[in-house]
Amino acid sequence: MKYIKQVLGGDLRQYTMVVALGLLILIFNIISGGRMLTSSNFQNLLSGNAYVLILALGMLMVIVIGQIDLSVGSVAGFAGMVMALVAKNYNIPWWCAVLIALVIGILAGAWHGFFLSQLGIPGFITTLGGMMIFRGGVIWISRSISVPAPEELKWFGSGYLPEWGPAFTGMNNSTLLLGIIAIACYVFVQLKKHKHSGDATGVKDPVWALIIRILLVAIIIGYFTWLFGSGRVGTSFPVPGLILLVLTIIYHIITQRTKFGRHVYAVGGNKAAAALSGVNVKRTYFLTMMNMSFLAAVAGILFVGRATAAGPADGTSWEMDAIASVFIGGAAVSGGVGTILATIVGGLVMAVLNNGLMLMGVGADRTQVIKGFVLLAAVAFDVYNKKSGKSSIIGRLFANK
Amino acid sequence: MKKRTLLSMAMVATMMATTFAGCGESREGAGDAASDTTTATSETTEATTSEFPGFEEGATIGVSLPWLGTQNWKEAEEMFTEQLTAAGYNPIVQAADQKVTQQQQQIESMIENGAKVIVVGPVDGSQLGSVLEQAKEAGVYVIGYDRLLENTSGVDGVVQFGSVKTGELQAQALLDGLQEWKGDGPYNIELFGGGPADPNAPNFFTGAMSVLQPYIDDGTLTVVSGQTDFTECATVDWDNSKAQSRMDTLLSGFYSDKEIDGVLCPNDGIARACITACENAGQEIPVVSGLDAENESVEWVWAGKQYSTVAKPTEDLVAQTIEIIDSLQAGNGMPATDVTADNGVIDVPIYELPPVVVTKDNAKEVFANDPSRLELLN
Repeated sequence: MKYIKQVLGGDLRQYTMVVALGLLILIFNIISGGRMLTSSNFQNLLSGNAYVLILALGMLMVIVIGQIDLSVGSVAGFAGMVMALVAKNYNIPWWCAVLIALVIGILAGAWHGFFLSQLGIPGFITTLGGMMIFRGGVIWISRSISVPAPEELKWFGSGYLPEWGPAFTGMNNSTLLLGIIAIACYVFVQLKKHKHSGDATGVKDPVWALIIRILLVAIIIGYFTWLFGSGRVGTSFPVPGLILLVLTIIYHIITQRTKFGRHVYAVGGNKAAAALSGVNVKRTYFLTMMNMSFLAAVAGILFVGRATAAGPADGTSWEMDAIASVFIGGAAVSGGVGTILATIVGGLVMAVLNNGLMLMGVGADRTQVIKGFVLLAAVAFDVYNKKSGKSSIIGRLFANK
Repeated sequence: MKKRTLLSMAMVATMMATTFAGCGESREGAGDAASDTTTATSETTEATTSEFPGFEEGATIGVSLPWLGTQNWKEAEEMFTEQLTAAGYNPIVQAADQKVTQQQQQIESMIENGAKVIVVGPVDGSQLGSVLEQAKEAGVYVIGYDRLLENTSGVDGVVQFGSVKTGELQAQALLDGLQEWKGDGPYNIELFGGGPADPNAPNFFTGAMSVLQPYIDDGTLTVVSGQTDFTECATVDWDNSKAQSRMDTLLSGFYSDKEIDGVLCPNDGIARACITACENAGQEIPVVSGLDAENESVEWVWAGKQYSTVAKPTEDLVAQTIEIIDSLQAGNGMPATDVTADNGVIDVPIYELPPVVVTKDNAKEVFANDPSRLELLN
């Protein structure tokens, strides 16, 4: 146990969900007779869930500051619909339509942020209003009829990276390159970390643990590189997956390495203390809400690209999937706790569960039931473990302060 | 330190080499389903009917339905499961709970499960584009069931009841009913449309209006609310409760001093919602049309509460679909048909079946072969 601990670098608890995810994938793979771990299934899994995971990135930050955003599904649907409509009716280039959709997302977020930060209306109420406003807006502007989206967007929603270079690799070389870059980055980060590991305590982490850790991760990345890259010719690591990956890295850095990120955690942990120590609470609230709706617009665009049309019901109850991902990833209901990477793992647990049950032919009804139990179990486990996050959303809403 | 760094770098490099070396064979092997499909697709695209590749008996057939919330879909689910099993196939029948994403993922998992044919009753006919193209690339035949699959090249044919024809029949039944129940005109009527996401809904409405418009123009029929445009009359998601609240509003807004004589209703659920709203408002029951011959409505027709419904016998649709699947299995390709519909990308072959109007007078004949519905007529 001690050795495992050394390899994984200390805190085992954060790996529980990763292990659960791995087990889920293996179990489903066995039950479905090897249909889980195939190139095409994993490509689908990522393309089909990228939008929820992107929402979860923003939702994590919203939950960390102790708020909730119920409007993301409606905003995503609205942004996607505006994009499809302007592209169709005004004959403007597709990228222009995408920009307009992103601006709409930012404006919607500024709207929510204004009411939350300047007027102090709780995020739950502000965004409940937003949810109705934008859902109504989608139906209004679309007249409840689906609108086909520009052809080019398909690449964002369900496209693949280009094929190039030598064929002897037996893989999509774009994917191979990605995999190699990923491993190289990991090695670089680990080595740097190792170099500084003794700075504080004077005791360096053992080298063998470092090497085994790097090997393990490299094997996992290598395996997935192969899995994604070796599918049918013309397929690769999916584009929406790549967008998700890039966003994940960006938001990981924002939350862990920047001043704004520290402010987000500070405000969520103790608003009064943060304000006293010079954090601009209003600004943090405002930017976090604006960022959430911006990501909602991104998610809406990806979804429309994949569906090839924007529909009046797009985005219905996406907020719930995003919120579930964040909590399965171990964020605390009371705010201040949670990480981007754990959220992505939480979202993937939901996605794999959905996908695996579908492969087994389990109906939508029972899938819902199972997902409900998993959400409860994951959060209960977490609360039990950490003994934190004791108050509930409801409790916060009706608290006096 | 430096030495160690180098050492670990070297280790990583070796390891990477081994990881990737093992994968050399993969490109052809990995997606065996996927790779022989590339050849299959290239054949299908250029082939005429006789050259379609068949598939083995007992093959997996996917059926993706929008939901099980109305009787016709529940019946379809049961019939597909029973009849495909009886015909020796391995059916996967799933319903998507009215969620587009759910349906996309279900279709993908059917492709993963090696389905040779996927029958799709879409939640939204225009939002399955890339998934269906993926199915096509994987060499899977895609048959639209009951609703047109739009905005995609990944569809081989659609089995449905003539939807414009259905609308015409509904309107004609409404006119006959007004004559029979309300005597000579003029009549006050209201119009309802179906769910706008369902491509059939505007067609029903168009068909119905082609029959009604001349009578509206000559004053025999008056649409009191003046709402005659499809988008004004549409019922989002075919949701009965939305139809009922619209009817409530119309009745309180326009009929406080008038009698309503008839309502054009695109399906049975909406028909019953309108009848209920009229009853609640203290109006005499108007003549309504309907669709689907749901049990409840068959009883209401028999009891003289709902004037008519239109039966689109699910067994006919399922039988026609399975006939096509059999033809594909035998390697004969899609059966010939002369009806096509433009789905925005390609002209899709349509296999149209004729619907049947049901009133109290002919109910017994229509349901002669349907024991469960015949039982309701007592």
